[in-house]
Amino acid sequence: MLMANRASLGLAIVIMVLAGWGTFSALDWPWKAKLFPLVIGIPLFCLAAAEALWELLGARGVKRTTADFQFSGDQPPEVARRRTLLATGWIVGFFAMIVLLGFPLAVALLVFLYLKLQGKEGWIFTIVFTAAVWGFFYGLFDMLLHLPFPPGWLLEWLV
Amino acid sequence: MADAFVQGLLLVLQWKAFVFMLLGIGVGFWVGLLPGLGGATTLALMLPFIYNMQPVEAFAFLLGMHSVVATTGDITSILFGVPGEATTAAIILDGHAMAKKGEAGRALGAALASSLVGALIGAGALALAIPIVRPLVLTFGSPELFMLAIVGLAFIASLSAQGARGMLRGFLAGGLGLFLAMVGQDPQAGIGRFTLDTLYLWQGLDLVPVLVGLFALPEIIDLVVRGTSIAGGVPPGRISHGALEGVKDVFRNFWLTIRCALIGTFVGITPGLGGAVAQWMAYGHATQSARSPEERSRFGAGDVRGVVGPGAACNSKEGGALIPTIAFGVPGSTSMAILLGGFFLLGLVPGPDMLTKHLPITFSLVWTIVLANIITVAACFLLLNRLTALTAVPGHLLVPVILVLVFIGSYTSNSSYADILVTIIFGAVGYFMVMAGWPRAPLVLGLVLGKIAENYLYISVARYDAAWLARPVVLVLLAIAIGVICYPVFQAWRARARSHAHG
Repeated sequence: MLMANRASLGLAIVIMVLAGWGTFSALDWPWKAKLFPLVIGIPLFCLAAAEALWELLGARGVKRTTADFQFSGDQPPEVARRRTLLATGWIVGFFAMIVLLGFPLAVALLVFLYLKLQGKEGWIFTIVFTAAVWGFFYGLFDMLLHLPFPPGWLLEWLV
Repeated sequence: MADAFVQGLLLVLQWKAFVFMLLGIGVGFWVGLLPGLGGATTLALMLPFIYNMQPVEAFAFLLGMHSVVATTGDITSILFGVPGEATTAAIILDGHAMAKKGEAGRALGAALASSLVGALIGAGALALAIPIVRPLVLTFGSPELFMLAIVGLAFIASLSAQGARGMLRGFLAGGLGLFLAMVGQDPQAGIGRFTLDTLYLWQGLDLVPVLVGLFALPEIIDLVVRGTSIAGGVPPGRISHGALEGVKDVFRNFWLTIRCALIGTFVGITPGLGGAVAQWMAYGHATQSARSPEERSRFGAGDVRGVVGPGAACNSKEGGALIPTIAFGVPGSTSMAILLGGFFLLGLVPGPDMLTKHLPITFSLVWTIVLANIITVAACFLLLNRLTALTAVPGHLLVPVILVLVFIGSYTSNSSYADILVTIIFGAVGYFMVMAGWPRAPLVLGLVLGKIAENYLYISVARYDAAWLARPVVLVLLAIAIGVICYPVFQAWRARARSHAHG
């Protein structure tokens, strides 16, 4: 089964579960609250089941027909998979850094580490670029817009 | 009406609104050049920054940004053969061919001038539509508005993908959006629905973290996977030569420009068709303008009419798309769905109020489109040679900066780490949807329209019971929705029948 087919089947199953759970939960609510969940949940379950069945029993490798952004296919699948995992790692890692260290530190750390490890940039460029991005972040969001950024769980725990 | 028209201009010319418009134009300018960052994504990214703005300032900022994205997107498409935006792909065929023949300046001049003409026609259509649409909208009650939401979803679900399979996926995405809109406290009975016993979900899923995750994260991942600069290392050179000749081309083919701009406006008005369709339809029409097979064979090899037509259509669609968005709350495209989110963030409800109480604000949108496009085209001509340098910035410099903007944009909607978590979850949803070939626009539309649709459905049922289904306008809208769903299936069946007959 192709990755696209697997992804489609997975999405259909997740929607089936969500719609089933939503419809089942709504049965106990007063009609005011359950009207819309039932109107949407039941057809959604049926449509998701149709997509899942189509995916399981229908033709494989159906050509893409969506008017939407598409991933570039100019890298070998192995490389694409490895880099996708790497990108996911950076995204999740940045979230972890924000939660543990707070935004101001996490922003500087992400830019510095990304440039050094992913971009293999030199020390001077990395430091200057990190300082510029951090200065932009601090100047715009902290000094100008006064957005409240908590210090992060780790720093709170240490202090 | 005339007072409101002038008042709209004065609102945009207030110094604060004007500065925000310039800021928006500046952001949209660069976003259009970057193929990795779409106009819809940037609108989603910028939504959190409008919380503290007045409606006129916010729309000057958002619409100023959005209405120039397609103009600068054409530049990347022509120079590198890489679509700056999904909506600027058709211009590559002849624009990039002209660039390869050493006529990049002429192609860019034609694209910029036709974009400006298109934008002015689109804005004119919006201004003219307001008095026509207003009495129509004022006769609409809750049942009609509920059915309009369904028609909008039917349009976008059936047309954002091709064939029965594509339509099924479109409806699944739209249904998922409607389902997600139900998360949170029920507005009628006050019951917490699908909140997973968390306080965060009681207020429902915030639009910004969902949009940012759905659109920005898959594009960031793709940029990492490609591992190149956005333009793939094509060196920029001097390109301004011949730009004036391109401007003259627009006036040599003036009626073609007008017709293509009208096509773009029509596509914009029709919910669900999207900007990409506008350029392709205009390109098709431009090729039809060839008088002989020999003349037609020039298209694709660098005919300036293949640049003029798509250029005009791409920008005129914005004014057109605003008509159903403002008048009915039915967004014509993904970007308009996000802009609709902006309306709600500012406490404005699209529909009758926008055509009566808030009419000057509505006209300020028309003026924003006009002024933003004039300023952008002027700036493009001045900066033509320097514009393309950013597309050569290595991806590894852009990724951390975009990631920081994404997470801050998401976090600022509720100042909660849960916002970022929602962004990551919807980033994964968006990634798998792109991978599986599911359209994302219906999901956004479902999420945006969900709460309104539920409210109108509840009022309709509570007030009219089942009798609301028999109201004449409701029946007409129902027929339109069924027609919209059935037409692509009929079209596919007819194409199959024809191929059997010929084969």
